[in-house]
Amino acid sequence: MSIRFDSVTVAYDGNVVLDSLDLTVAPGEVMALLGPSGSGKTTALRAVAGFVRPASGRVLLGERDVTDLPPHRRGIGMVVQQYALFPHMRVEDNVAFGLKARRATRAEIRQRVADALEMTGMAAYARRYPRELSGGQQQRVAIARALAVRPAVLLLDEPLSALDARLRSGMLGELARLHRELPEVSILYVTHDQIEALTLADRIAVMDKARLRACGTPRELYRAPADEFTASFVGNANLLPVTVTAGGAALGSAELQVDTAGAVAGARATLCVRPHLVGLGDGPNRLTGTVSEIQWRGSTHRLYVDVAGHPVMADLRELRNPPAHGDEVSLHFAPEDAVLLAAGVGGDER
Amino acid sequence: MLVHSRKAKWAVWVLFLVLFVPLFALPLLVVLGASLATHWSGVLPSGPTIDHYRAATRGEALQALTTSLLTALAASLLALAVGTWAALAAAALKKSHRRVMDALFVLPVAVPSVVVGLSVLVAFSQPPLLLNGTRWIVILAHTVLVTAFAHQSVSAAIVRLDPAYEQAAASLGAGPARVLWRVRLPLLLPSLTAAAGLCFALSMGELSATMMLYPPDWTPLPVLIHAATDRGALFAGSAVAVVLMAATLLVLFAVSRVRTRASYR
Amino acid sequence: MSAESPLRTAPDPARVPAPAGRGPASGREAVLAAATDGGGAGAGTPAEAVRGRAARAGARRLLWALPPVALLAVFFLYPLVLVGRQSLQPDTGGTSLRPYADVFASAGFREALWTTVWLAPAATAGCLVLGFLLALVIAFVPFPGAKAVARFVDVFLSFPSFLVTLALLFVYGQVGMANGLWTDLTGAAEGPFRFLTTPWGVLLAEITYFTPFVMRPLLAAFAQLDTAQLEAASSLGARAPRIVRRIILPEALPALAAGGSLVLVLCLNEFGIVLFTGAKGVTTLPMLIYSKAILESDYPGACVVAVVNVLLSVGLYGLYRVVSRRAGA
Repeated sequence: MSIRFDSVTVAYDGNVVLDSLDLTVAPGEVMALLGPSGSGKTTALRAVAGFVRPASGRVLLGERDVTDLPPHRRGIGMVVQQYALFPHMRVEDNVAFGLKARRATRAEIRQRVADALEMTGMAAYARRYPRELSGGQQQRVAIARALAVRPAVLLLDEPLSALDARLRSGMLGELARLHRELPEVSILYVTHDQIEALTLADRIAVMDKARLRACGTPRELYRAPADEFTASFVGNANLLPVTVTAGGAALGSAELQVDTAGAVAGARATLCVRPHLVGLGDGPNRLTGTVSEIQWRGSTHRLYVDVAGHPVMADLRELRNPPAHGDEVSLHFAPEDAVLLAAGVGGDER
Repeated sequence: MLVHSRKAKWAVWVLFLVLFVPLFALPLLVVLGASLATHWSGVLPSGPTIDHYRAATRGEALQALTTSLLTALAASLLALAVGTWAALAAAALKKSHRRVMDALFVLPVAVPSVVVGLSVLVAFSQPPLLLNGTRWIVILAHTVLVTAFAHQSVSAAIVRLDPAYEQAAASLGAGPARVLWRVRLPLLLPSLTAAAGLCFALSMGELSATMMLYPPDWTPLPVLIHAATDRGALFAGSAVAVVLMAATLLVLFAVSRVRTRASYR
Repeated sequence: MSAESPLRTAPDPARVPAPAGRGPASGREAVLAAATDGGGAGAGTPAEAVRGRAARAGARRLLWALPPVALLAVFFLYPLVLVGRQSLQPDTGGTSLRPYADVFASAGFREALWTTVWLAPAATAGCLVLGFLLALVIAFVPFPGAKAVARFVDVFLSFPSFLVTLALLFVYGQVGMANGLWTDLTGAAEGPFRFLTTPWGVLLAEITYFTPFVMRPLLAAFAQLDTAQLEAASSLGARAPRIVRRIILPEALPALAAGGSLVLVLCLNEFGIVLFTGAKGVTTLPMLIYSKAILESDYPGACVVAVVNVLLSVGLYGLYRVVSRRAGA
């Protein structure tokens, strides 16, 4: 079932926390709402769940306008950061809760609970209480509980942020598998972690300061970010202030070849280059500068090079003979790996 | 943590004992000692006897114990029901209304119990509701007095309740009634039992309002203790007092057992 | 709708209708839908519709609050009003301020008022000092058994106040522990301790009984205090008195205010302790109400004293609540 935000605005005490959001999640699609805290992403999710009421705009699930429906009539599944498993119920009763609320028959409840626990690998823990489970197990139960009612829409609010890093990457794989097994479920996934968004999402909606900044496939956003905020929030980025020239862009005295995409010569712009696409040594689009810092990260070296007063990051495969602090080095990047962004302005374009 | 040297620590502890033992431990021990004695004219009581307990567990005293237990049971259950309802209803109101309601329900704490007794006596000695001279007037006064405490402790528990639980329940399709019965009340259960225990203990020891309105055939323990000491039977009164304390503690202990089983984390 | 059922195994999805599958036919949804359609179509702006819904939800919530408030009104507020009315109806008939004039003119009332008014703050001050000291030791200079002491404090709270007076009769009474010890040691015929039937006896009993009411909120507040703060302070060279003054006391202030104001009101209203001292010399307002109503059957007079006592306690308590809310507690 699709999820549609139709210019949804949410305000608390006159404070706009979500500013006329327009967004549609297609049936079966995983949409990540990515943004820093306070960007309005959780508010958007809670507007779908029914816990916040929009000041204006409509929320639609499929063809149905649910804006005025109380949460328990919306038929969504939801998993929140702290899981909110009912501490006084066993795992199986937690999972059965939604089915009982829908007055399913006893046989059906048993079957569905078994299925949901099987699917999340928690069948062996049905008789346990939540307090007897680890964080990762609680997480699985929370997902099983949400899936047992067979929602057409699943809302995940930072579901992995309470887990430690190792468990998180494991659960990320689990979530991807679950979605492969349930291809019809539309998922709205709120996160501040770009890795989670890039890994799981079919499309990412980048949010900042109560507004939608950009929306696209992870690849689109990564390769061709629409603005500086998106560029720096989805992956790492070198953002260099340049002046547009006839053949490309100028950074200080260095003349660089890039696709100007019709920008007027003489205009100021920002050049976005991903650090791992920057190479060491001579090549096209050469930048020279002094090494201000070098960090060894196991499989890579990160160089911070001061180019005409601008810091440029380069992530390089581990170097045999890394340069030292203060060395003069040359960097280069391919013209097709750079994107020219409108300078300074945040870019409210969609 | 605060005091590090050994000497200073011991000095602090000795000071603590000097203040604590005579003020708090001694009174209870003294009542216990007196209940087992016939004279107290030296440092220690003399003339050991258990006759007072024989008297304190039969006849008039046994009657009073039953009266106290029944009154406390009825009053604390009624108070718990009304106080919980009020607290739940108040929690759903907007802030300004909630404040008014909280203030209303805290009022019986501030009004002197004697005045509560007097007012109930004045109000229910006349039509339309004539309760004077019946046990119901005692139970009613006790309920009014302890409802405020029930309401306060349940309110505090509701504030601490994480809204994530009820929201999770609602997202799973549970309507308000199911959320209340299956999620909120079970989660509040430890606080509810604690509130019930508090109300029970308060009602067991209630004297001020009771003195204003008890009928002769419904004499709770505190009134009996007062009657005994008033006529100079201090040692017999002490035995009844020990029975009162023991009964209160027993019930509180039972309640706390229920409570441990009802607390989940 | 059933086509969208997400679980692999689908025994019979139609049996458990997802809410969406119920369609708009079910009663309340249809009403809601109609109401919002009307709101959107032209009857008003969506914002007005939102406000209308909110108003209806608010009214329903107020309705739920009604039963307990009604019970409170019938069994607590209405009787209080009757007390107020009776205080204006002297036994001679009619309505007048006569009972007030009579009561205010009597020396007994003025003495009781004065005793009440000085005893309560004095006992409160004693409880605050003692409670703070004792809680401080239990929380920050813990000793084996400190937890048991804290539990003992809880138990103490569940006993009636008159037990303290009863115990003090054995400790400091005419023939009691202290006097017995004195006569044994000195051979005198009588011991020197006779303060029990004076206001000082009541003061001692009230401090004893009400100190735990201060200790409990204090212990709760101290449990919240981050001990790392204390360690940081003492690593910076602060000594114990300074830490208490600068770190612990500020944290304890709300709990002290809450406990102190409760104790003040409870002391103003205390009856059992005074009744059990059995002394004619100590009369407080609650005691006066009792003796006027029950012993003298002077109901108008008792009601007058009750009104004064209620105004005093409720006024103080209300003041405390307002002040504590202003202070952001």
